[in-house]
Amino acid sequence: MISCQDFISELGSLLENDVAAEIREQLEAHLAHCKTCQVLYDSTRKTLRIVTDSGSFEYPEPISEPLVSKIMERVRSSCDISEGTK
Amino acid sequence: MGFLVENDSLADSEPLKIFKQHFGFVPKVFRAQMIRPDLVEAQAKLIEAILLKTKSLTRRQKEFIVIAVSAANQNTYFVGLHTQILQILGVKAEESDQIAVDHRRAPLTEIDRALLEFARKLATNGKEFSANDADFLRQHGVDEPQILEAVLLVGLTNLLNTAQMGLGVEPDFKPRLIFPLKEVNPADDSERPMLERPLADESASDDPDTEFVTRVQAGDTDAFEHLVRRHGRRVYRSLVGILGSAEEAEDAMQDAFLKAYQHVAEFKGRSKFSTWLVRIAINTGLQRLRGRTNFESLDDEEKDFRPRRVQVWQDDPEQSYSREELRRLVEQEVMKLPPKYRVALMLRDLEELSTEEAANALGLTIPGMKARVLRGRLMLRESLVPYFSKESARVTA
Repeated sequence: MISCQDFISELGSLLENDVAAEIREQLEAHLAHCKTCQVLYDSTRKTLRIVTDSGSFEYPEPISEPLVSKIMERVRSSCDISEGTK
Repeated sequence: MGFLVENDSLADSEPLKIFKQHFGFVPKVFRAQMIRPDLVEAQAKLIEAILLKTKSLTRRQKEFIVIAVSAANQNTYFVGLHTQILQILGVKAEESDQIAVDHRRAPLTEIDRALLEFARKLATNGKEFSANDADFLRQHGVDEPQILEAVLLVGLTNLLNTAQMGLGVEPDFKPRLIFPLKEVNPADDSERPMLERPLADESASDDPDTEFVTRVQAGDTDAFEHLVRRHGRRVYRSLVGILGSAEEAEDAMQDAFLKAYQHVAEFKGRSKFSTWLVRIAINTGLQRLRGRTNFESLDDEEKDFRPRRVQVWQDDPEQSYSREELRRLVEQEVMKLPPKYRVALMLRDLEELSTEEAANALGLTIPGMKARVLRGRLMLRESLVPYFSKESARVTA
């Protein structure tokens, strides 16, 4: 029988669908009788879904052009210095 | 045990405790010196300060240096000892073997490889050492305190290697590799031994950026603009994850792209260009973060994390909030995570890098990366419970 701590340490692989069949069986057997791990598994899966669908920290589009120009300005001036020309 | 008369009655004495505490046992090389406990204590303090405390380099990077330098010295004892220690830290013995035999073929990040190149040269060819060698590290984003640590580690390893050889201490474990091996430190052009297929097998052949990178390397600055547009979003998001502020992320983004441009000649296609770029961005971000006063080290020892809130969640938790509210809520809670978990979670779940790519970018092992991501997700889950559990009333972020 695996413990809740064992379950948690395998949780990452379970979420990413990256567990061997026999371990999956053990994890599922544990889930069948452990209410706490059921909640944990369900809520972590939902957390993951919420995070990946949230569109958080999107690149702020309106300022991207000035930023690209700023970067390219610094890039071009750095190569002027290194070439010692112009 | 060795060439000298021993004093084993002191096995539990104070100076040996550091070894027990950090390694789980006392290596014979120190037990063999207990006729002078004061000298053992001095070495223990050096080991603690230079190897065990993580201030600049990671513990893993330091252990790699010890292995590479010990291998350069053909010291079977220390290669075996630190391979064992690295196993405890989650690094496969095969990986350590490859570093010992030929680190250039080991599945390492470019920074780690540069560090080992530097350490081996200092250990074996100190006379040819010059300011260029430190520059070589700086070009890989290694900062001054990290260079200092690398130099001292080479010295410490040489001291310990000499102690073992001079005292004739037998190995603590049956060694996996016995030196001298003919194939240790082969000349640059010789056929290199390969113990294992690299873990980081991202072939660069299917890298969509190859054409543009080649053009930039040939001096076409405009081609770089294309790369900035293509990867700006990814670089920005890595930086926002590390720095926790949009404004600072934009500043750091400029620095990161400039650094990438200045070092583009060194990009050899061993990884995808995007991975290389994100690694530069992450280093730029980490350097800024380290400059802050109350920065919690990214390399702190992991403690066990136990989820506390186990209320049942709603079936469709997203439905109680608008998209905008969800976005703000996630941003707010992700920002509260400790930096090392925040970065891991950002790279995997928002940036959607593969575990391998993210591990490469952060210089972590795959299991180490997985552990951090899981921890980040569990911590985030914990903080979202009040918003999404069945009992929770609708809370505004």
